[in-house]
Amino acid sequence: MIQTTRRAVLGALGAAALALTSGPSLAAPAAAPAADRWQIPVHVKKLDNGLTVIISPDPSSPTVGISVVYKVGMRLEPRNRTGFAHLFEHLMFQGTPKAPKGVFDKVITSGGGSNNGSTRPDFTNYIETAPSSALESMLWLEADRMTTLDFNAATLKNQQDVVKEEIRVNVQNQPYGGFMWIDIGGLAFDKWENNHDGYGSFVDLENANLDDVRAFHRDFYGPNNAVLAIAGDVTPAQGFALAQKYFGKIPARPTPKPTDFSEGLNTAERRLTQSDKLAQVPAVAAAWKIPERGSRDQAPFAVLGQLLAGGDASRLYQGLVKGRELALNVNSLYGLTGVWEYDGPTLFTVFALYKPTTTADALLAGIDEEVARIVKEGVDDATLKNLKTALLADWYNGQEMFLLRADRLAKLQTLWGDANVVNKVPGWIEAVTSADVQRVAATYLTRANRSVIDRKPAAMLAAPAAAKAASQP
Amino acid sequence: MMKTRLSPITRAGLALTAALALASTAQAAPDLPAELPPFGKDKPLVVPKITQTTLPNGLQVWVVPRNGIPRVDYVLAVRGAGLGADAPDAPGRAKLLAGLLSEGTTTRSSRQIAEAAQAMGGGVGASASNDGIRISANALASQAGDMMKLLADVARRPAFPEGEVQLAKANALQGLKAAGAQPAFRAAKALDGAIYGDHAYGRTQETEAALNAVTAEGLRAEHARRFRPDRALLVVTGRIDAAKATQLAREAFGDWKATGEPLPELAPPPATMPVQRLLLERPGSVQATLRLGRPGMPASGDEQVALRLTSAILGTGFSSRVNINLREEKGYTYGARAGGVSWRVGGAITGGADVRNEVTGAAMTEYIKEYRRIGTEPVPEAEMAMNKRYMAGSYLVSTQLQGSLGQQLAGNWLVGLPADFLGKFVPALQKVSAAEVQAMGKKYFNPDEQSWVVVGDADKIGEQLKAFGEFKVVKP
Repeated sequence: MIQTTRRAVLGALGAAALALTSGPSLAAPAAAPAADRWQIPVHVKKLDNGLTVIISPDPSSPTVGISVVYKVGMRLEPRNRTGFAHLFEHLMFQGTPKAPKGVFDKVITSGGGSNNGSTRPDFTNYIETAPSSALESMLWLEADRMTTLDFNAATLKNQQDVVKEEIRVNVQNQPYGGFMWIDIGGLAFDKWENNHDGYGSFVDLENANLDDVRAFHRDFYGPNNAVLAIAGDVTPAQGFALAQKYFGKIPARPTPKPTDFSEGLNTAERRLTQSDKLAQVPAVAAAWKIPERGSRDQAPFAVLGQLLAGGDASRLYQGLVKGRELALNVNSLYGLTGVWEYDGPTLFTVFALYKPTTTADALLAGIDEEVARIVKEGVDDATLKNLKTALLADWYNGQEMFLLRADRLAKLQTLWGDANVVNKVPGWIEAVTSADVQRVAATYLTRANRSVIDRKPAAMLAAPAAAKAASQP
Repeated sequence: MMKTRLSPITRAGLALTAALALASTAQAAPDLPAELPPFGKDKPLVVPKITQTTLPNGLQVWVVPRNGIPRVDYVLAVRGAGLGADAPDAPGRAKLLAGLLSEGTTTRSSRQIAEAAQAMGGGVGASASNDGIRISANALASQAGDMMKLLADVARRPAFPEGEVQLAKANALQGLKAAGAQPAFRAAKALDGAIYGDHAYGRTQETEAALNAVTAEGLRAEHARRFRPDRALLVVTGRIDAAKATQLAREAFGDWKATGEPLPELAPPPATMPVQRLLLERPGSVQATLRLGRPGMPASGDEQVALRLTSAILGTGFSSRVNINLREEKGYTYGARAGGVSWRVGGAITGGADVRNEVTGAAMTEYIKEYRRIGTEPVPEAEMAMNKRYMAGSYLVSTQLQGSLGQQLAGNWLVGLPADFLGKFVPALQKVSAAEVQAMGKKYFNPDEQSWVVVGDADKIGEQLKAFGEFKVVKP
């Protein structure tokens, strides 16, 4: 069936205030062919305790996706507790007084579903998907762990161990060790909230205690600091009623005063060379601070990012992997999220493995040339149209699965205060001009605003040093 | 392209793919909270309706229209064109063959292909598996016709331009070097050898010598030998009706002719293999990468559904036995898994976890314990029910996605499963008994028949391995 388009309306319970704020006034009519338009229904309601609930019905499959997003992430973890937001996320799966450890997974698995959670700088999300027959059970479980946890020394120790294994398997025992998303932030940012390692030090992780866990849950995991979204085989009336039934009685809890972790663009290039004991091939990460969320530069930057690093047609792939033949691959990142899913200082990072026969400087020179060309010439109409088409398709692809659709809606509501951004992004992209792309390239992709890590195999770094030592008398 | 881990900081690296069943509405687990609402009534199972056509040249066309996202998804699966067809001195050749299909045709350059795909809001690319090569393409719904033409061009008229071949070779050589630094890559290669021996399924990773020997001319010859319409299936899913999709397929592929004789079918690999114990040295490693395995079952084996259920119970997902034991109870690892994978003429049973050095032996002991238990004790009814519902639910969730549905249909076809396997899977799953699961456990998960591959620092873990037999040490 074809999706119907609806504006956000109050559900059957209709009493509570609507929590919709408008996004930036950038919206423009979508110019995509009618066959390619896709509006996501978005129904929003705020419960009396401050929980924002979003329902996006789609009866095409007898399944649902659920996302509960809390507005707390790595930036807000305690100073001497690096990695705590992520450790805490693990503890959300370790049981409550009513549902002891093991029940959560057992119920969702028995319901035919899967679940996961993840921690990012500005939010922590908890997601599950299953046949719709398990919807009520899953909502009960989410409400139960929003209410309180089983603050238990044994499960804390268990998850401290699991998280350390996670860091070993993803960072310490891997070539490159996540330098393109951990170390690059440490180099580029000035404020602790933005530049510390969100995976955390083993010392800080080991020092975490039950009082920390209690305080974090109390301060950041109340309904007023959360968004619940359900997509799929559910009606707005049914979804709002269930949300009220299971979450309505959880009292709101005061949240700490907001901290100011904003910082401006950098004014001088930052460079670092690292040695990698495991890697066999050198790599480089180059990162630039990007526009604030909601800035008029955000949509043009999305187009610029696509132009530079969006797949095989991109300037950097064609210019560095093909063309100059310096790099083995080119990947790009917007922090740990996406170009629409951050709410604080964030980096656009280009990451490439490069051939041992070349240098990071040659690669950076190649990037600079491509950027300079964009600043000077802009982008022609045909290419601009293609970039917009690709971005539109990517945006749709990210919301096809009910689980991802719910998660996107909950994240947009958390970060923008407006889940309807889901339907505004296509228009914002459509409105971008060549001059916009030139402007943001000239503003953000500067050498002064750039931070670079050159990550070399230890043997490569040792070789010139040894040669130098040997040549000395 | 190489794989880089770019998205950590999640609860687990387990993919949220789907799958499974709608059994009873009874709550599976005991000791559930009194307040927990029961599951609702399950809806009738949705079976995909496939419109099937065979063109005069033998190409099969399957269409499953959907009305969700404004996109069409195509998969062209070419049976027998994959890694199984690679010569003993050319392991992994099918990967380069697949990768280079979209790097230039007789009428389009690599760049023109990439730009055309971007302009359609989609992409086109190919990948090789043991039993075939799949070319996958998608585009916004308005571009269905143009993307079908691009797909046909890439599949039928790849040019393997000299410059692209040399660049792909050079990058693959560096990629091989980079991958060799990852413990999981080295472990997989050694384990494949232990499971499949000399069979083509056992040598799917490239070697430096094989990459150096690649030529454009050789690739053209392999393409001519392996790609033919009477060994191919085109699956179309998405916002398009069946008549239109079939018409587009006819226009783009109708004049595709087979040349020469089709390749012979692969012989099956050995059903059993001698047990090996290998320690792949990795000085300085902070974890031991543990893997174990033995030969498994071909996809069309009679007990395929029972094996999948057994795999789920023992080693798939958060609630599986090895993950509960090694992660949730012991904290040894970020994730532990075990289970079967099946190909057209054979399969593998594999398991493993990455654990800190100090608990290497303890983790192996737990694996052995869980493997022995699944073959010697019947799985309790509640655990059977939980896993059946899990697999049925995963089926529903995964078929929610049109691209995933197309890939599953094409994948099943490549390994020799019928078109209705997907639709019949859940009902078949409901019939599997605890005795059948135990029999699968005994037959395939007997710990005494598993080969072990351990990647790690010999100085740190060598002593702990002694209790498990003699390990042959392999230098990096």
